[in-house]
Parts: sequence; C-alpha cells; structure tokens
Amino acid sequence: MRSKILPILLALIVLGAVLSIAGLMLVLLGQDWEDALFWILAAVMLGAALLVVTMRDIIRCGLAMIVSFMALAGIYVLMGAPLLGAAQVIVYIGAISVLILFAIMLTQTKDAPSRLVFQTQAVPAAIAAVVVAVLIALAVSATDWAELSERVRLATSVMSRVLFEQFVFPFEIVSVLLLAAVIGGVFLAKREPGGPS
Amino acid sequence: MTLESLIPLLVILPLGGFALTALVGRRLGKQAHWVPVLAIFAAWIIAMALTFQTLTGAAPLLPGSEDAHGYAVHWFTWIPAGDFVVEVGFLIDSLTACLLIVVTTIGLLVHIYSVGYMSHDPGYWRFFAYLNLFMFSMLLLVLADSWLVVFVAWELVGLCSYLLIGFWYRRRSAALAAKKAFIVNRVGDIGFALGIMAIFVNTGASAEGATMNIRLSIHRMLELGDANPIPLFAVALLVFAGAMGKSAQFPLHVWLPDAMEGPTPVSALIHAATMVNAGVYLVARSNELFASAPDAMVIVAAIGIFTAILAASIAMTQTDIKRVLAYSTLSQLGLMFAALGVGAFTAAIFHLMTHGFFKGLLFLGSGSVIHAVHDEQDMRRMGGLAPKIPITYATMLIGSIAIAGIPPLAGFFSKDEILAESLKFGFWWVTGIGLFVALLTAFYMFRLMGLTFWGAFRGPKAIWDRIHESPRVMTIPLILLAIPSIFLGLFLGLPLGDSRIHQWLAPIFHHATEELLSLPEEAYALFGVDGVLILASVTVAAIGVVLAWRFFGADLGSLHLPARPERVREISARPGLAFLYRASLNKWWFDELNHLLFIIIGGRIAAALWWFDREVVDGTVNEVGQLTVGAGRGLRRVQTGRVQNYALGIAIGLIVMAGSYLILAGNPR
Amino acid sequence: MSNSLDAYLILSGILFAIGSFGFLARRNAISMLMSIELMLNAVNLSIVAFAAFSSLPDAQAQGSVIALMVMAVAAAEATVGLAIVIAIYRNKKTPLVDEYDAMSR
Repeated sequence: MRSKILPILLALIVLGAVLSIAGLMLVLLGQDWEDALFWILAAVMLGAALLVVTMRDIIRCGLAMIVSFMALAGIYVLMGAPLLGAAQVIVYIGAISVLILFAIMLTQTKDAPSRLVFQTQAVPAAIAAVVVAVLIALAVSATDWAELSERVRLATSVMSRVLFEQFVFPFEIVSVLLLAAVIGGVFLAKREPGGPS
Repeated sequence: MTLESLIPLLVILPLGGFALTALVGRRLGKQAHWVPVLAIFAAWIIAMALTFQTLTGAAPLLPGSEDAHGYAVHWFTWIPAGDFVVEVGFLIDSLTACLLIVVTTIGLLVHIYSVGYMSHDPGYWRFFAYLNLFMFSMLLLVLADSWLVVFVAWELVGLCSYLLIGFWYRRRSAALAAKKAFIVNRVGDIGFALGIMAIFVNTGASAEGATMNIRLSIHRMLELGDANPIPLFAVALLVFAGAMGKSAQFPLHVWLPDAMEGPTPVSALIHAATMVNAGVYLVARSNELFASAPDAMVIVAAIGIFTAILAASIAMTQTDIKRVLAYSTLSQLGLMFAALGVGAFTAAIFHLMTHGFFKGLLFLGSGSVIHAVHDEQDMRRMGGLAPKIPITYATMLIGSIAIAGIPPLAGFFSKDEILAESLKFGFWWVTGIGLFVALLTAFYMFRLMGLTFWGAFRGPKAIWDRIHESPRVMTIPLILLAIPSIFLGLFLGLPLGDSRIHQWLAPIFHHATEELLSLPEEAYALFGVDGVLILASVTVAAIGVVLAWRFFGADLGSLHLPARPERVREISARPGLAFLYRASLNKWWFDELNHLLFIIIGGRIAAALWWFDREVVDGTVNEVGQLTVGAGRGLRRVQTGRVQNYALGIAIGLIVMAGSYLILAGNPR
Repeated sequence: MSNSLDAYLILSGILFAIGSFGFLARRNAISMLMSIELMLNAVNLSIVAFAAFSSLPDAQAQGSVIALMVMAVAAAEATVGLAIVIAIYRNKKTPLVDEYDAMSR
C-alpha cells in the first residue's frame, strides 16, 4: 500500500515545488510569464527525459516519456505553433506511446528486477552524451543567427494552406508510408501458424 | 705439321684419354689401360721433342727476350671483355722444359707401373681415367702462359688429388684424407686467388690496362715499382700462400702425410714428383716478382727451411713406410723453397728434377715392397726382405743413396748446390740447418732400409712364404727410374761452376739474380768455400748413414751389422730425448692443434653464430609476424557484433569531427 | 529567455544528448526505441524553433509542416521497429540487445 501511495505523493510534491518556484519567479523577480513558463516546461521535459533513460522499470520509463512529450507540446504552443502542439499530443502520446506500452507488455520477461539496467559501455556513452551537448551548446551560442527579435505566432489557416498546397505530395506519400508501416508491422509481428505462442 | 702445332696435343691427348676411359672404361675391364698409357706415351714423345729443341737452342727466340729460346703459342681467346682480354696460350721455355721432363717421364712410368699394381682392383678403369685427368691438369699448369689458366689448372690438380687420394672411397680414412687435402689446399688457394686479383689491380693501374699474361703482367708491375696500388711484397706473399698449400709447407703441411691413404702410384706421381712441385714451379715462374720483394723471399726461405727440419724430425720415428717417404718429401720440398728464398732459383729447379726421379723411384719401390708382403705397410712387421725381392731392393738402395746426398749420385749435386748458394748469398742459417737436415735425411732413409730389407723378418710366417718379386711391368719402371737417379746429377751438375742446368736456366733467372737482387757472382772455388761445403755435406751424410747402420743394422756386401732395437729403445727413453721422441711420433701435435682451433673453437663460434641467426635474425623476422598477428587479434575486438557499440563509435566520430572543426575553424564570437 | 533562439536550440541539444545516452547505454531494445523517439523530438523542436524565428515569409508554416511530416515518419518507424522487436523476442525470448549475439564468436 505504501509503495503505491508514495510515488504519487512524491510526484505531487515535485509538481507543487515547481509551481511555487514559478510563482516566485513571477511575483518576486518580475519576470515575464512566458519566460517562467518556458523554464517550467523545459525543466519538466528534461527531467522526464532523464527519468526515461535511467529508470529500471520500463513501464515507468514509458510513462515518463509521455510526461516529456506533454511538456514538449506545451513548448510548441509557447513557440506559437498550437496545431503542432495538438499533433504532438495526438500522435506521440496517443499513438506512439500506446504502441510502445503494448510492445512492453508483449515482451515482458519473468526475471525483471535483478537485471542490469545499463550496458558495460554506459560510462563512455554518458561521457559522449555530455560532450555532444556541450558541443552543440558551444556551436549554437557561437553562431550569429540572423533572427527576428520576436517570434511569430503561426495562424493555423496559414499552416493548413501551406500543407495542402505546397506539401500535398509529401502529405500523400506520408500516408502511403504509414500504410506500408502498418502492414509491415502487422506482418512482422504476426505469429507463425502453428508455431510457439 | 710443325712441332709448334703439336703443342696443344700435349694437353688434348691426356684429356681425350680421360674422356674415353671415363665413358667406356668400365666395359673395357682389364684392357682399360691401353688408351691412357698410349696417350701419355704420345705426349711424352712430343714433350721430349719440344724439350730437346728448347734446351739446345734450336727453338726460336721468345718474344721480349734476347737469350731465351722456346715456343709461345696462342690457342684461343677465352674472355674478350672490352679492354680486358684473356688469352689462352702455351709458353715453353727452359723452365717449362725442365718441368716437362719430370712430369711426362714420371707420369709415363707411373702409368706403366699401375698396370701391374692396380691389376686386382675393381676400379681399374676409374684409376686410369683419373690419372689421365691429372696429367692433363698438370701439363696445362706448366704450359700455361696466363695466370687465370694456371689457376684453373691449379684447382683441377687439386681436384684430381682429391679423387685419387680418396680412390678407395669406401674406406673412411681415405675419404677423410681426401677431404683434408682438398680443404687445406683450398686455404692456400684463397691466397693465390687474392694474389691474382692483386695482379689484376696492379696491372690495371698502368696505362695499357690489366693483363693476365704472366710475363707481361710481371714486367708491368716491375715498371710501376712503387706506383703499384698493392705493394709487390704483398702480391709475392699471396702467390706464395698458394704455393704453400699445394707444396705442403708449414703450416699447410698437414695434408701430405694423410694423403698416403691413396694407392702408391698416386703417392709417387702426385705427392712426390709432380703436383707438389707445382708450388716450386709457381715461385720460379714469378721469380722476378719475388726478386722485387726481398723481404718476401726471406719469409719464403724461413718457412721452407723450417718445414724441412720439422718434417725430417718427424720422419725419424714413423713406422709406416709410406709416411716416412711422405715426410721426406715434405723435407725436400722445404729445401727447395729455402733455395728459392735465398735466390738460388736454379738450384731449386735442379733439386726439383733430381728429387722427382729418386722420390718417384722410392715410392714405386715401396709400392713394390707393400705388394710383396701382401699389403702390409708397417715396417715393424717387415725385415730381411733383401734376398726375396732383389730388384726392388737394389733400386731402393740406389734411391736411398741418392736422397742421402752421397756422391756421385743425383741428390748430392743438387743438395750441395742449394747449401753452397745459400752460404754465398749470406744465409748462413739456411746452410747450417740444411746440413743438419741432410744428416737426418741420411739417417731416416737408412733406418727405413734397415727395418725393411735387412735383419730378420718380423712378420707372420705365412706371409714370408708367399713373398715374391713384383711382375716385370712394375720392376721395369723401377729400373728406368734408377738410371736418372744415378746419372742425372752428373749430367746436369757438371761442369762444376758453370753447370749445364745453369746454362739452361740462366736466361730465365738472370734478370732476377743479377739485376734485381744483385747477388754475388763468385767463381767456383773448389779449394775454397765450395770445396769445404762439399766435404761438409758428404761428412754429415756419412755420419747419418753410419748412425742408422749402428741402430738398425746393415747387410750390405761384406758389411754385416746387427740391428739393435733395445739400444734404440734405451736412447729414446733418455730424459731429454724422450720428449723429442714423443713429439716426433705425434707429428708435433699439429693435427691436434688444428682440431682444437678449427673444429672445437671454430665449432663453438659457428654454434654461437647459428644461435644468433636463429634467435636474433629469425627472431626478429618472426616477431614482426607475431606483431602483425597480435595487432590483428587486438583490432578484432572492435568487431563486437553489437549495434550499440558501433553507435558509440559513430557518436565518438561525430564528436571528434565537430570538435576539431570548432577548434580549427575558430569561434567567431 | 523564451524569445531567444539560442535557448530553444540548446534545449533541443540537451534533449538530443539525453536521448543518445539512452540509446547507447540501455539494454532493453524498447528502451532504445524510446530514446530514439526522444532524439526525434529534439530534432523536431529545433526545426520548429528555426521556423518560429525565421525572417522568411513562409518559413514558419513550412517549418511546422516539416515537423508534422517528421512526426508521421516517426510514427511509422516506431511501428516497424516495435514489430521487429516483438518478432525477435519471439525467437530469442529476451528483449535485451546484448544477448543478441548469434553473429559474434
């Protein structure tokens, strides 16, 4: 009983902490609310992503992934692409994450807890990841982007027009691709007739 | 058909005899001797004709000389290499003529003798084939006028010696002796080859370019004098090194006694009369070269006289009849080189000729003795053979008297001339040691006679009953050889003071002796120095003979002395003499020294070098291979088969590329 | 901060790094696929960020459309990948990639 309540409690405490920090930032420091929102969403997204790659239990990893996607959707909206945010939620959370959870269910093994989480090359991989992040940060900050000082909010109608006028061909191709993927997936995962279950 | 055109036949006839006998000899069986003997007989006739013409002055004058007669014939061009051309030709002058007399006469007599001596041998045809091959090589050697042809013949003679010493190849000792002869000869040949190369370098330094013609090359080197790149002293010593090997001078003397493993005709022909004289001939032929390097001549004389006394001391205690004669040959060769070294070239050649005849006689006689006692060579099991084998006994007695130097036989004249000349040219130590050697020579020869022919027979009775004289085909050569042993000295050595042989060989040697060495030319003083020397040499010979008689007995005409072996044992056991006796018996332990130096120490060095080659050289090469294999094994571990490892590789590659681009392209902040 | 392109790009970079760490270090095949999804999202984020701050007239819309396409392709890829994992699981009875070693040795 305790093990079930405790994580929920923990999550609520974390959420409360984050929100209070945000409120503090808003009130005390007088920051723009968009900036505060950006920080909160970014923190949630990165934190959840870290949980995805480090947690032992895969199902918990999957759930953390859903949280991360959610935060990313929020960032899309913040950036001024609400349709994309909606698409993120529908496609990633609604389809891909569910698919992943189903796959986890189908590939469960009995000896779950005692396994190693990481491979032997985990340490070099961590170092490589950190270095990649540092490199990207350096490259990005060193480049002079010819940019607007202000981001532009995207109107959905404009986007849909571009989608169905300029990108109609890729749109249809993607449909065919999805069809092929579905058929392929079904075929690959099909059970052998008369084979082991 | 002039006489000159017959000169190539001198070498072609023996060569043809060899080829024919080698190819079909086996099928001819007992008749295999006809072709070789007839070939040598024909060669002998031609050689005698040429010799007669040359020595009497009937032959034309040789090019480049005002008083030397002979024949210089060009046969063919061997190596036409641009500026350097080697011709093969023949030169017959007085020196060659003297050698031809010895080589062809003794060669012919040995061939005839072998018909009887080797008649029971299954390898009869092989023996004659080898003998003919040897005659071809030896004749080529003395007739050649080019250094390279001499070298070829030199090596061929060595080869024939090997083949003939090891004729009974199934016998281990014979095979080993043949190898030893060849290898020791080879050591000397290295020196000779280096000498020829030095001559090439030296003559190449002149304006006309290098030449291998003996006469021309020596003249050119004399012209250059000190301008020679390689000093003449060195060239002379290198050439002498070759002569040392072939003529068995110290320290390359060790092969000659072992060479007695071969059949006795071989010992007579090769190791007494012809091949071992090749070294003396070589030095005599290059007399002007040696005369330009007087220090080299002193070395030649020293080595020669040392060999003489060393060998004589060993001969005193040997029990094998052929070994005694072998060491005697060594000793006499040493005397010849001593003569060459002091500048008495004519005396050396004189002794070469007389020695060839009486030593050949002694060897063939010993062969007859061995044949009579049914292949027994140890003198301790002989004795009292004189009445049973009279012809052999008589001829061997003549040979012994001749070699002991008792006048008026041949050995006296030649030996006395050597001693006189060496004293007159200032080499009194050569004369002194030479007189001592003469004493020893007389002693051990009559020791041999005493042990073999006089006294009582010490062998098994069964053998005594079967002793018989050799067949005529063997005794006639003995008689024929005894004649020059008696008279050759008189023929060549008289008149005293200006002997016939002196007249013959003066054109060859006078440039060296008169102009280069400026040797004193004194008149013959029969009642002065020369007379004293004659008296001295006869006295020491007599002392030696009488001593031998007292120890080993004599049965000569009215002289009957008993052998006293117990006295011999007593004397040889005396404190000072005991060591000398043992040293003499063990040949002064030279074979053991060679064994230590080359087999043991040389073997260790060779083993060390082999270890080096195996471990270091091969090891390095193998290590390189191992390195490659190891590196491959290490690199193989990159291929894990796991995608994630490869992905990590991709990530690392990405980092490296991006990082280096950032660093190198700079940060345009 | 939310007005600067750099921030969004750095954020995308960090997310990409996290995703790549997960891909390289996890044993479970499905964990690897989840990490791949994270990486794809990071790329999507950077595309949209460039589009949002671009000065070209149609850029914003185009960027969003491209991101949409990426999402669709990611979905297709996840489908096929998971189907493969399930098929392998049926054969090997384990979803752990370091036990798929039939080719080594």
